[in-house]
Amino acid sequence: MLKFEDVYFAYAGGDTITGVSFEIGRGEFVALMGENGAGKSTLCRLCNGLLKPSSGRVAVCGCDTARTRTSALAKYVGFLFQNPDRQLCKNTVREEVELGLEYAVADKAERVRRRDAMLELFGLDGDREPFGLSRGERQKVALASVLAPEPDILVLDEPTTGLDYRECAAIMGVISRLNSAGTTILMVSHDMEVVSDFASRALVLNGGRLIGDGAVRETMRARRVMNEASLLPAQIPSLAMRIADLGAEYAGAFTVDEMVSAAANARGSARP
Amino acid sequence: MKGFLDYVDGNSVLHRLNPMTKLIISFGLCASCFLTQNHAVVAAIALFDLCLGALAGISRRSALIFISLLKLSAALFLLQVFFVRQGNILLVLPFGLRVTDAGVSFSALFALRLAAVTMPLSLMLSITRMSDIANVLVRYLGIPYKYAFVLTTAMRFIPLFTEEMAGIMEAQTARGVRFDTGNFFRKVRLLLPLCVPLLISSVRRIEVSAISAELRGFNLRGRSSGYKRYSFGANDAAALFICVMIIVASAMI
Repeated sequence: MLKFEDVYFAYAGGDTITGVSFEIGRGEFVALMGENGAGKSTLCRLCNGLLKPSSGRVAVCGCDTARTRTSALAKYVGFLFQNPDRQLCKNTVREEVELGLEYAVADKAERVRRRDAMLELFGLDGDREPFGLSRGERQKVALASVLAPEPDILVLDEPTTGLDYRECAAIMGVISRLNSAGTTILMVSHDMEVVSDFASRALVLNGGRLIGDGAVRETMRARRVMNEASLLPAQIPSLAMRIADLGAEYAGAFTVDEMVSAAANARGSARP
Repeated sequence: MKGFLDYVDGNSVLHRLNPMTKLIISFGLCASCFLTQNHAVVAAIALFDLCLGALAGISRRSALIFISLLKLSAALFLLQVFFVRQGNILLVLPFGLRVTDAGVSFSALFALRLAAVTMPLSLMLSITRMSDIANVLVRYLGIPYKYAFVLTTAMRFIPLFTEEMAGIMEAQTARGVRFDTGNFFRKVRLLLPLCVPLLISSVRRIEVSAISAELRGFNLRGRSSGYKRYSFGANDAAALFICVMIIVASAMI
């Protein structure tokens, strides 16, 4: 679905992405992690042709992004920006959700069906003015308008930034359901709890280089990679590793349920 | 390249000049463009602006700005040249349009002036911090600080708005809006709805800045609260002398 082959990209100030290669298959949920300035947003922009690689090749659903217009790639790649306000430009939520469809779907009836389905999925009032909504609601509108054309790949640049727990859970719930239905997700996030709860694979960037690529569980336990990228694992795997360092058998716990189970087992084996 | 109004850090002889000297020189060069009716003099002033850019260590940036201005000047030249009726006819075109020698001369001077007048102001802003401009406006010209602050803040916001607009266009392109088309008129038509998010984000940003300034006691600031002093040295005297010579020469030629 998405393939980076030895990709380099440089802004005027110097190299930003250096020799990055990876491939993401259909239906994968991949988290992109790294400290600020590591090149995460740049890498995302390379995915839909907003930036073209200086050398190497980026292919989306078989299309070379260097030779395809970004607006043409929009039918394959949905891109949710960190700041939803940049995506909103219509007077009502309904018009906003329909905007992306105007370029992707020719049939009016089909556009209306998809628009209404999105409004229902996100529980949005189509008559509301987008800029009068809360930050979380605006993020939902932006996500609904990105999802309406039903792209094969969804690139999310820190979708939960600035959201409270309820808003975050609602947004991630929708994204997770889409992923279960086969949509490929590439998500930038600094929230390790969100990454550990939802992503199955992690890419770790540091200084524009890809220093880690593997299952989220393994990546979060790879102390060298996490340290090099200045990242802290989510709380449960972090706690499990700390306890494991003391000699107890908790190292495998990754979720709350697994930790509870490991604690119960440890308690059971400790009883006479 | 940074925005054409952004400050570029440096330690060149032009960077070290008194900000007031830089202001006087930039406005002096602008004035000299209007004092002369000679195309060669205006072109020479434009070249002098480029030399100043090289002296300030921003030759590439000033060349790029100059090229952009030349493109705009060329467009204005084409708009003007068909509508001046005086002079000898050089070319007759359909729809009653004609090109005259006076029209060519006037339009060329107009286009050259646009580039030569804008360059010194852009250079001055490239090598002078906004805070220094505000300070000298208050200290030497007696402008109330609030007005100087408004002026410098407005200048500071221009590159931010440019960046915001670029971000909005990027976001819309990613949604499938065809900003990456080569059709200029279609691009302009697509741009109009984007004024809404730009306006809203601008108002929000300005509101946050205003609240932040008030929270830091902006309204308590008096005239005497500025502490920075700017020396006036031999370099400033020499620069002003050269500027006066250019003004006098352009008025006489």
